[in-house]
Order: sequence, then structure tokens, then C-alpha cells
Amino acid sequence: MTTVTGHDAALQTFDRTTARWGRLTMIVGLLISLAGPAYLVFFSGLEVDQTKILTAFLAIAGTFAVIWIVEPLTYYPILGQASMYQAFMIGNISNKLLPSALIAQSAVNAKPGTRRGELAAVMAISGAAMVHLFSLLIFVGFMGTWLVSVIPEDVTKVVQTYILASVLGAVVVQAIVSLKQLRATIIAIVVSASVVFLLVPAIPSLAFFSTAIAVIATAVLAWFLRDRSARLLDDSEDAQLADTRNR
Amino acid sequence: MHIPTAFDSGSTDILAAANTPILWICALGVFAVIIVQTLIYVRAVRQAAPAVGMTSDELKTSFRTGAVSAIGPSLAVVLVAVALLTVFGTPAVLVRIGLIGSVSYETAAASIAAGTMEAELGGPTYTQSVFAVAFMAMSLGGAMWMLATLIFTPILKRGDAKLRRVNPAVMIVVPGAAMLAAFFALGFAELPKSGYHVVAFFSSAAVMGACLFLAKQLNLKWLREWALGIAILTALVLTYVAVSSGLFAA
Repeated sequence: MTTVTGHDAALQTFDRTTARWGRLTMIVGLLISLAGPAYLVFFSGLEVDQTKILTAFLAIAGTFAVIWIVEPLTYYPILGQASMYQAFMIGNISNKLLPSALIAQSAVNAKPGTRRGELAAVMAISGAAMVHLFSLLIFVGFMGTWLVSVIPEDVTKVVQTYILASVLGAVVVQAIVSLKQLRATIIAIVVSASVVFLLVPAIPSLAFFSTAIAVIATAVLAWFLRDRSARLLDDSEDAQLADTRNR
Repeated sequence: MHIPTAFDSGSTDILAAANTPILWICALGVFAVIIVQTLIYVRAVRQAAPAVGMTSDELKTSFRTGAVSAIGPSLAVVLVAVALLTVFGTPAVLVRIGLIGSVSYETAAASIAAGTMEAELGGPTYTQSVFAVAFMAMSLGGAMWMLATLIFTPILKRGDAKLRRVNPAVMIVVPGAAMLAAFFALGFAELPKSGYHVVAFFSSAAVMGACLFLAKQLNLKWLREWALGIAILTALVLTYVAVSSGLFAA
């Protein structure tokens, strides 16, 4: 469309407002989220070797850098500009925000990718955000903190020591089931097991970056060993899907 | 010279450092920013709605539907978050696991960070200094997600064909494989620590598998949402029983 009607102007205002304030609130959120740990590191009197932060950050980056970049690209067509700034600050996108948005869109007969769908999604994510903030404040902030103060010390000790193993056992299964990529799963198991049980015991200095090594090796192998016959089909389907979303 | 405070680099009393008032203020600050953002957005939607023929009732329905469908998933997140309170303290759990990030990425990041200092989360090597570095590093990691969003969203909005035309196979295969490898590598690294770690890891995996299987067979959506919390709690209970009974005691 070349002529700017009143309706277009209203939507342009919406885009401008959500882009400006979405970005601004996200930048403020980002800074506040860094202020807490920065206080601990620089001003609390704890002796922290700052090169350790860089090392730790690099190890995390080696593992997750791909996902930092790919996730925003993946969610953009589904969420639209405005909701992007909500979703990546509120978190828990795939397990909470997306389902909320989709259910709300179908409740008001708005299709994803349309303007109606975009507005419905913003409202739904706003509703979800409010519920989420209050349940976190009440059940984790107040009741959780109280609960931790009254549970016996031997229970706390067990939770602290074994929580990571308990989280990872379930998360591994969840990742396998939700991704449904048999080939990549097998490659990931073989590569990770070789890194953890063979490479690191042989060369202990690699332990720092063992996860990053496993991730990069798996990603490269999974790419070269991917199922190419399925790819052509996916290509054309995704391109079509992207085209319809663009409108 | 060291002024005696709640802070002591070598102390393993993580919560003394992790629950300090300043961290609480920062956590509540993030809550406030999200509330402000929501108010601005809702106002913007109200003004734009007539242009696409959406009634005020439809907007209310969308908001309410979004809120109601978030109740289950939110409480499921709460359950997992409470289990992690003793490791990260309340403010860090609220911001990192409750909001910006998610359970899996943030615990993975913290564990990787602790690993670079030859320490283990929750173990005797998990001192206040290690916590501070791990918290800083996981927060920087979370900031990268936001930074990527801030950079890519305007570019995508302008409809940059190059970004949209990234080979879809790359977008599906590579991140999936990276995620699987990250969780497998971290999970496997837990196993040699002790027999109890093996119990925790495999009981959690088994319960998760069972929950997801039942959820699919019986079409129970709530079970899928709660599976992670149920698996973690069951694994912790079983591990506690194993520890108490001295199963692997030397």
C-alpha cells in the first residue's frame, strides 16, 4: 500500500511506541540484571579475580553463543517486533509465553502473523507476565525464602549437592523428546561421552572448556552428517511459511 | 584489612551473600521494569486496536486468556525455582530462573562457570567468591540473549532478506545439536562425582521420561508442564533416602 490511511497511521504509531519503549525498557532491565552481580563482584568486599569472570564467560559463550543468536531469529516470525522485547525479558518463552499467545489468538480468532494476531499476542503475553510476576513474588520470593529457612540442614545439604544432577537428568530427556532429532541425539551422546570420559581424563587442562568442546564438535558433526534427503523438503516448506508470515 | 560483614570470600555460606538487600533491590527492579513495559504496551495496543477492528472485549479476552493459560506453567516454574533457592539465593533465582532465563540454561551456565574455577555448585568448593563469579558470568550470558534481541529485532523488522534467508536447515540442526551436547556433557560430568550423583541423574531422567510418556499417551497437558518439577523433586527425595541410608558410604 502506498497511501497512508488513518488505520496505517495508528499501526505505525503502535510500532514506533513499542519499538522505542520496548527497547528502552529492555536496556534498563539488562542493566539492572547486571547491577546485582556487579555489586557482589566489585563493591561487596569479596575478593574476586576478575580474569576468572572472563574465563567463565568465555566457557559459557563457547557453549551457548549459537543459541543466543538463533533464538531471537527463530522467535521473531512468531512473536513480531513488539513482543520480542517482552519475551526475552520475561523469559520461559517456549514453555509459557508462546502457548499463552497462541491460545489467546485462537480465542479471538486472530491468526498468527497478522496484525490482529500481533495485538492479541501482546495482550496475552502482558496477561501472562502479570500472573508470572505475582506467582514468583508470592511463592518464591516470600514463601520460598521462608521454606528454605525452616527446612532441616541435612535436607538443604542434599538439595545443594545433588540439585544439578537432578536438573540435568530431566533436562536431557526433555531436550531429546522435544527436539526429536535422533541423529543429532546419538552424535551428542557419543561426542559428549568421549569428551567427558576420555578426553578430559587424558588432558585435564581441557576441563575448563569441556562443554564448549563437546558443543562445537557436536554441532559441526551434526551439520555434516545431517539427513540431506529431508532437507530439500524442509527448505521449500520453510520458505513458503516465511513468505506467508511476511505478509 | 577486612571489615567483618556478611561477605567472606572463602565462606561456603552462599545465602549470606546471595540474599543481601542490594540484590533484592535489583531483583525487584527487574520486576518493576517488566510492569512498566506491560503498562506501556497495553496502552499502545488499546490505541491501535480500532485500526484492525479489534474490540475492547477482544483485548480483554486476550489478556485474560494469556493470564489464565500462564497459571500452570508459572507454578511449574515456581516449583523448580524453589528447589534452586539454596544454591543461588532468592534474588538470583527470581531474576535468572524466574524471569530472563530458564532453569536449564541458567543452571548449565552456572555449572560451566563454577567448573572454570575448579569448583562444583553446592559442593565444599562452592564459596561466596565462586558464587559471585558464577552469578556474574550467567548474568552476562543472559545479557547476550537480550543484546541479540536488541540488535536483530530492528533488522528483522526492516525485513532484511539476508537474515530471513539463512539456510533453514542451519537454524534447525545446529542449535538443536548444540543444546543436546551442552546438556549431555554437563550431565555426564556429574556421574563420576559419586554414586549418589548417579542416583540423582538417572532417577530424574527416568521420572521425566515416564511423565512425558504418560502425558503423550493420556494426552495430559498439565503433566507435560509439571514434569520437570516432579522429576527434580522425586530425584532429590530418592537421593536423600539413598544418602540417609548410607548406600554408597565408604
